[in-house]
Amino acid sequence: MNGPPGVQDGFARSAGRQLLLIAVVSVVGIALLMFGLSWLSGGARISKGIDAATGTVTLALADEPPQLDSTRSTDTISGMVLGHVTEGLIRNGDGGKLLPGVAERWEITETGATFWLRPDARWSDGKPVTAHDFVFAWRKTVDPKTASEYATIFFAIRNAEAINKGQMPLTSLGVQALGDHVLRVELIRPIPYFDKLMVFKSFNPIREDFFNATNGRYGADADTLLYNGPFKITRWVHGAHLRMEKNETYWDKARVKVNVLDFPYFSSDPNALINLYKDGKIAVAGLNQENLNEALVKRWQINRFQRGSVAYMEFNHRKGRPTANLHLRKAIQLVVDPDEVVYRVIKLPGNLPGRSLFPVWLDGVEGKFREEYPAKKIVPDPIEARRQLALAKKELGLNKIPPLTMLSDDGALGDKLTEYFQETLRRELGLEIRIDKQIFKQRLAKMTAGDFDVVLAGWNPDYPDPLTFADLFASWNSNNRGRYNNPKLDQLVAVAQNSTDVQTRMDAFGEIQRILIEDPPMVPTYEPGVVFVVDPRLKGVVRRVAGSDPDYTNVSIVEK
Amino acid sequence: MTPSNPNLETTIDDFAPLAAEQRRQQLSRPSLSYWQDAWIRLRANRRAILSLYIVIALLLFTLLGPLLWRVDPSAQDLDQVSRPPGAERMITLAAPYRSWNGEAVLPTATGLRLAYPASTQSVRLIWDPAPGAAAYRVYRNIVPTLPGESLGLPIAQTLTGTETRYEDRLDLRAETYFYTVVALDETGAELTARQALSVDPVAVITVAEARSRGLQSASGPLKIGDKVRFKLHPLGTDYLGRDMLARLMHGARVSLFIGIVAPLLFVGFGVAYGSMAGFLGGRVDQIMMRFADFVIALPFLLFMILFKIAFGIGPGQSGILPMIVALVMLSWPGTARLVRGQILQVREEGYVNAARLLGARTNYLVMRHMIPNTMGVILVTLTFAVPSAIFTEAFLSFIGMGVAPPTPSWGGMSNEGIKSMLIHPHELLFPAVLISITVLAFNLLGDGLRDALDAKMRSRE
Repeated sequence: MNGPPGVQDGFARSAGRQLLLIAVVSVVGIALLMFGLSWLSGGARISKGIDAATGTVTLALADEPPQLDSTRSTDTISGMVLGHVTEGLIRNGDGGKLLPGVAERWEITETGATFWLRPDARWSDGKPVTAHDFVFAWRKTVDPKTASEYATIFFAIRNAEAINKGQMPLTSLGVQALGDHVLRVELIRPIPYFDKLMVFKSFNPIREDFFNATNGRYGADADTLLYNGPFKITRWVHGAHLRMEKNETYWDKARVKVNVLDFPYFSSDPNALINLYKDGKIAVAGLNQENLNEALVKRWQINRFQRGSVAYMEFNHRKGRPTANLHLRKAIQLVVDPDEVVYRVIKLPGNLPGRSLFPVWLDGVEGKFREEYPAKKIVPDPIEARRQLALAKKELGLNKIPPLTMLSDDGALGDKLTEYFQETLRRELGLEIRIDKQIFKQRLAKMTAGDFDVVLAGWNPDYPDPLTFADLFASWNSNNRGRYNNPKLDQLVAVAQNSTDVQTRMDAFGEIQRILIEDPPMVPTYEPGVVFVVDPRLKGVVRRVAGSDPDYTNVSIVEK
Repeated sequence: MTPSNPNLETTIDDFAPLAAEQRRQQLSRPSLSYWQDAWIRLRANRRAILSLYIVIALLLFTLLGPLLWRVDPSAQDLDQVSRPPGAERMITLAAPYRSWNGEAVLPTATGLRLAYPASTQSVRLIWDPAPGAAAYRVYRNIVPTLPGESLGLPIAQTLTGTETRYEDRLDLRAETYFYTVVALDETGAELTARQALSVDPVAVITVAEARSRGLQSASGPLKIGDKVRFKLHPLGTDYLGRDMLARLMHGARVSLFIGIVAPLLFVGFGVAYGSMAGFLGGRVDQIMMRFADFVIALPFLLFMILFKIAFGIGPGQSGILPMIVALVMLSWPGTARLVRGQILQVREEGYVNAARLLGARTNYLVMRHMIPNTMGVILVTLTFAVPSAIFTEAFLSFIGMGVAPPTPSWGGMSNEGIKSMLIHPHELLFPAVLISITVLAFNLLGDGLRDALDAKMRSRE
């Protein structure tokens, strides 16, 4: 110690005062700098959710579309963007009705279909959309070199399956252009929902000369994509910003009432999105269970939408997996309570307890399918479940079921659901569950590789017909990732695929539903729904079960 | 001539030897060892002592807590989800849920009405058919509905216009709900006809559920209509109704285990490595320290993932071991550098040279002179390494790379808590505050120890 204490105290005090001064000055300085920079940049980057003066609607995307090539697109985000910037032969109208798109009129028979294209349909570079563009795109999708996941959706068209397997040349595909404006399709089996199928993105046109000019970069950037839909992409900064403007060459541009759809935010974080909505920076935001009450207290206009998909627990049937055992699957089925999942764990309206692979909205013979063919409700029964578990152990020759891997993805529900199932299966059956949480893509890859015992999966319908769900567990379906193999079910799927008689088809679906409940290759958990808030000035946001969702093509801005 | 001085006259007596006198060095104060001295200085530092108490309390909380508070940290109770501390615990026993076929037990009235007494099990609503209705939409609100304002949560929509009942079971709590039923036309647009009702559900639980939770009634066996009390959750429950206190206690185990074991290991290795490099010096020192620089440049997170795979830690298994290995293998160079610097300095001190000239061996030099003189630095790095390791664990669990559920950890709890930060703050607050307090306490303790152990590095108090 040097110097008397008094001197040191004085020194410390003045040093402290100086430090405090520096701290305050730097904090104030940084704050001023930030405000200054924001002011210098004109505050232009701070968007408004609704700008009536320029006709701009600002929204958020959950993520950036991986790419926008309709022959290879499989995800819902690129599907949504494609639904705004391109148009197929037929488009979705209100209330499940179909409206003419590029095709003015069409005729569908059991052996084929003919589409008469409107002469005023134009690409964004001014050239007309012709039947050749459809022929090119469809051939491209079934081309084995494209390796499109949706090639199977074309298999009802003549020679599509053989072409996809590399056994026939591309030109043999049963689709041809009779002149520029007539498209003729040959079918090998009748498809009762063929018109609904035409709305699907894989059937959209692509112009050959433009596609070839992009050197394999088609759909990778704003300028390597040609637009024939209500909007066109004018700006696409990868990972940051996507901007759509009204397409002036669109044949029905009168129905487009806003000039710009701006997506400056790519985020799937519900809290971030709801904060943006609160600040008036975006016009639509999803709500989660955590901010539901706040939305109610603030008296926001809340909308509810049933996605039309189903979420379920799928088992792995590969050799050596304990879940290949029927009794173990039954034991798990008997302790999973979809009521509790929805009412006590998910707690969001719009979600429905899962009872069947077929969601409630599907049409049956006359009314709704699920009313005509009610699914047997599984009442949770822990005592019976434990009996089934004992049988499973006996059959497997095990004293204890080895730890089961539960594969899931980082969806909006977070770990809530997986942890709930983990604890329920531990408490009721003494099963040890290891949670394998992956991102969505990786979850699919692991499912395909069979690297799981149980997976929390789901299915979005591709077209509004029960078949989109029914063939999921057919042995030949590449989406049957648990390798479930039941010849009886395969036969029923074939019946439904090859018939046009509604009663026969629905009976087959009813039987498939029964098999799926009695021999559970999967246990339905819930039918997902969403709750979202929409800026009261924005009208005409449409949510769709199949096809591009959400649909902003008809939105308009109404000043209060 | 020499000047004479009468006082300096010497006599023969002056040459007589003095009596032998015992005059050795005397200690004016009691002898203190290095540690005693350090302890006194540490005790004088009020902040450090307070931090020490906090650290001890944390250890007790973790090690003794679960013995006293015997609640299963992974037991879920969906009847008590996200309860804050001190929530109402009274609940009425009710009959098990039975599905509803539209019959009513309450006297009939007009408008929107209840068919059964409302409980948290279900609210059964019946309403009058409206002319021209193709379907009905049921709204539920938690604030009174105002004219012209939002009707609240669109909880359901009937499929037909003949269906004039709805059973609400969605996350019902014992609070007032305001229901509104609106008729819809063919296109799904809302008609003006609407009926409203406010409902106060009673909190209920079935007898079987009460029994499985071990709840007891004051008046003997449980029967329908009895009021019982839920088990106490002093710090509330989380998003699946798990006891927060038990989870915090168990979560601390992982955090503190990693926070103490990993630093001990990597500081130990760093000391050995650094002292070797410093002592040997020259080319060996150069090579060893360049290798340390190389290790510093390695990214921690990447190695953490690599170790997880290399150790065969499958999905859903806790990665505590790879976390410790990654921490040890990548965190030692800091300590090694510090120790090497100290050793280089001490090596040239006079007493070391003296000892060497007297024939001291290398071992003796290192153990007797080098290490004790760098002890201050070593202990200080150790105490600062503890909070950083705890924080790393919390961070890894927060991003989902640490322990696997259902094992709780503070980082993982914060991660889940942050999602409902605004409505259930206690789920984030408790683990986050504990992480902060722990890290702060270890840091302040380290600060105090540095002052106490190393006079040279002492900061001014």
